[in-house]
Amino acid sequence: MLNMVREKKGKNEQKLHELKQSGELYTWKEQFKKEKMPEYYTISKTKPLYEVFDYICRNINISIEKENRFVYFLDYVFLLDEVRGYQFGNITPDYVSFLKYGLGGLKSEVEKSDYAKEYNATIESIGILIDRIVRCLEKEPNGKNEKKMCWFKRMRCDSVVHFEEAIQRVLFVNQIIWQTDHRLIGLGAVDSYLASYYEHDIEDGYLSREEAKEILRDFFIELHNYYWLKSNMLMGDTGQIIVIGKTGFNGEYLCNDLTIMIMQIIKELSFPDPKVLLRVNKKTPNEVLELAIDCIASGVGSPLLSNDEVVVQRLIDFGIDVDDAYEYTVSACWEPLIGGKSVSLNNMTTFNFMRPLENLFKRDNLLKIQNFEDLIKRYEFYLEKNLNAVKRIIDSGKFQKDTVMSVFIEGCKEKDASQGGAKYFDAGITTVALGNVIDSLINIKKYVFEEQKYTLLDVKQKLVFNFYGDDELLNELKKEGSKYGLDEEEPIALSKRIVSMVSKYTENYESPNGGRLKFGLSAPVYVDAAVGSMASFDGRKAGEPYKVHISNETASSYTQVLNFASAMDYRGNRFNGNVVDIMVNPDFIKDNQEKFMYLLIGAINQGFFQMQANVVSSDILIDAKEHPDKHTGLIVRVWGFSAYFIDLPDSYKTVLINRALMSEGKMAV
Amino acid sequence: MDSLITNIQRFSVHDGPGIRTTVFLKGCPIHCPWCSNPENINYYEETFCLNGTCGIYGKYYEPNNLVEELIKDEAYWINGGGVTFSGGEALTHMTYLLKVFKKLKQENIHIAVETSLFVSKESVKKAIKFVDYFIVDIKILSNDKCKSILGGDIEWYKSNIDFIYNNVCHENIVFRIPCSAEYTLENTNRKLIIGMLSKYPDIQIEIFNLHRLGQSKYDSLGIEYDFVVTDKEELELQKFYKQLTDQGFKVKINKV
Repeated sequence: MLNMVREKKGKNEQKLHELKQSGELYTWKEQFKKEKMPEYYTISKTKPLYEVFDYICRNINISIEKENRFVYFLDYVFLLDEVRGYQFGNITPDYVSFLKYGLGGLKSEVEKSDYAKEYNATIESIGILIDRIVRCLEKEPNGKNEKKMCWFKRMRCDSVVHFEEAIQRVLFVNQIIWQTDHRLIGLGAVDSYLASYYEHDIEDGYLSREEAKEILRDFFIELHNYYWLKSNMLMGDTGQIIVIGKTGFNGEYLCNDLTIMIMQIIKELSFPDPKVLLRVNKKTPNEVLELAIDCIASGVGSPLLSNDEVVVQRLIDFGIDVDDAYEYTVSACWEPLIGGKSVSLNNMTTFNFMRPLENLFKRDNLLKIQNFEDLIKRYEFYLEKNLNAVKRIIDSGKFQKDTVMSVFIEGCKEKDASQGGAKYFDAGITTVALGNVIDSLINIKKYVFEEQKYTLLDVKQKLVFNFYGDDELLNELKKEGSKYGLDEEEPIALSKRIVSMVSKYTENYESPNGGRLKFGLSAPVYVDAAVGSMASFDGRKAGEPYKVHISNETASSYTQVLNFASAMDYRGNRFNGNVVDIMVNPDFIKDNQEKFMYLLIGAINQGFFQMQANVVSSDILIDAKEHPDKHTGLIVRVWGFSAYFIDLPDSYKTVLINRALMSEGKMAV
Repeated sequence: MDSLITNIQRFSVHDGPGIRTTVFLKGCPIHCPWCSNPENINYYEETFCLNGTCGIYGKYYEPNNLVEELIKDEAYWINGGGVTFSGGEALTHMTYLLKVFKKLKQENIHIAVETSLFVSKESVKKAIKFVDYFIVDIKILSNDKCKSILGGDIEWYKSNIDFIYNNVCHENIVFRIPCSAEYTLENTNRKLIIGMLSKYPDIQIEIFNLHRLGQSKYDSLGIEYDFVVTDKEELELQKFYKQLTDQGFKVKINKV
């Protein structure tokens, strides 16, 4: 079994390697376009998606690996940019309805409307694809294929009966969504929606626990297979998130065999993807937490932890139905999402907290600012302007009809997902650089208003000239250390104040389709958003990356950062992902797993929102940067995903190495 | 008069049960050659300078302020976690610590001390009323060497150990032996240690290798650090570990 896994992993790596060698890692689509499928190229430009989709279903190359348990394939040729523009992505389709009712059950009854015709045509196209797969399987009858044939035949009208069949159906939906170039496709609460099939099979003696685990393992392998192809902005950024564990209506913790198996599998396979998010609460059993820590300690980068004690109520407060809030999943990174019912785009754009401060120094009359309070007020002025820009970006987003996604989102039988068919369609943004702004403001308060060592004009000069010739000041600022992320009064109060400003200017916004705006304190863009930025008074030089999520490598203990995160206010529209990101030395966590469990239990009680750990040592990272061949399996956590370290651009490698050095006390800030 | 504190280390995982916040008190009656906290030897504030950064070792905390700082991590003190007082020699600060202990006990917080026990019986008696967990160092046990190397009175030490052993629940005592081939594991001393341990056979023992992590602190104070770590330390530690386990002691190696 493991050999097979390795072989597959090897194949992927080889493909990746070839693409890298030819310098076409990110341009392979162009290549396919030139060489093949001119017909497709033209059709998609003029036709609506349902017709394009029909063409895809009739023409994609069906590839069935004889030896594999499941049928799961993507035809690269058809993954062309032309299907893009339908824009929905970063969401989790509704797998459950298809499991329960089959294709027939998804049909729209309102036959007469134009929309319903297109919608039902889409379903019919899926049926055609199913028939084609069945015919393919018929050509080579053998034991495995007969089983698969039966599964596919039953997809048209029947409910799923068995666990294995259910996974095949999930894979088929997942494949269709990827095939139509939707990106960052989640798997949802797998341990919840597969539980009844699993339990049924176990009770009937149809499956043993071990067999079920093998099946799940193959499921993970299939999903991981197209890792390089599914990756979005960086290698590994696939958005294939699986959410496990949850809270019941009475605050109890709900988990099952599958929850446990999934964590065991990700540890055993040691793939960075698919990635797992574990929902936790005060009643999460110690065995579950132990296993989670064991997984994290293995360095696989998962699970990310989401604290139901905070998250569920915040969703209900925002207006999400109680039933749905308890069943929340997340978008590709961590933004809470009602999987299968929501087309909320949770990562539409990023608000950069540093921009208003840059605007202030570049444009404001600094002589008029008499005290720290004036400064904050002027910061707020520019913050509002920047948020207006964010709103304009969301306003200008126009969604095209997407019948394929609509088939797999609950509630879209009469109205397309793009026209408000889905129950939830809010707009989410992420934010970056809050830490740098807080540290800058605290330093300005001290140096300008308290000690009066510099005027604001002096500060402006230092920043504009990127601390040129002023290494002494730069060092002094670095020695101040980072206050953001510490459980001290000043950084907590200031952070809360600035975050509440964002809330104030966004909570009443309504998007063109009637959705609301939400934001969170973590974002994937800490490297990219800083490109071209001015220096900042936290001792960051121009263009250097911003701080990562809620983190502080100079903190003397994790509890400081966790307490800080727990003191933040996540009410209103502030719940769009708030991740504490810690760096942990592998030996330290392995030697102290029990104490990490207490840390986790304490932190759940304190009320952090979400948390992830990078279990890496600076020595290994540095060696891996120099000798990538020796560290092909080294996994790190990048923004909200896990990736092979050697696949990352150098800028990200450097961020990780520096953070590891700082957290190990080997490098000054 | 409040005592000087040099460091409050949160999320300590080696200083007692559970997750702990360790308070380092400044001032110690003995002077171990390997001491890795030289800033905690003297009872007064000291200026330090290292790589151009200067500052002062030691800060006074009013008991209220100290407790306020300590309970920040109360949420994490599950399964025995709490506060550990170390140093320096924590038990030489009893006047101050009693005020702190009382406040912590009002909050029902678990208290541990790490002590070399070279202190008066009076201090131990006071401490015992509040302290839940004793981490007791075992260092050099021969009469004259204890005097000449550590500057401590072995009789005080021995009678304090007996007193604690007779008055504290044995599972709340742990012996901690810093291992150095030159000093503590030197042949005669090793035998003395094992001899003493056999008087307290049910006490958990932690052993660990000494290191020179204190180097930069010595540099910052401008004092010489004479302690030498040889290449046989790890081997000696393993031998000692085997010797103790063979004789049936409950022993574990701490990775520092």
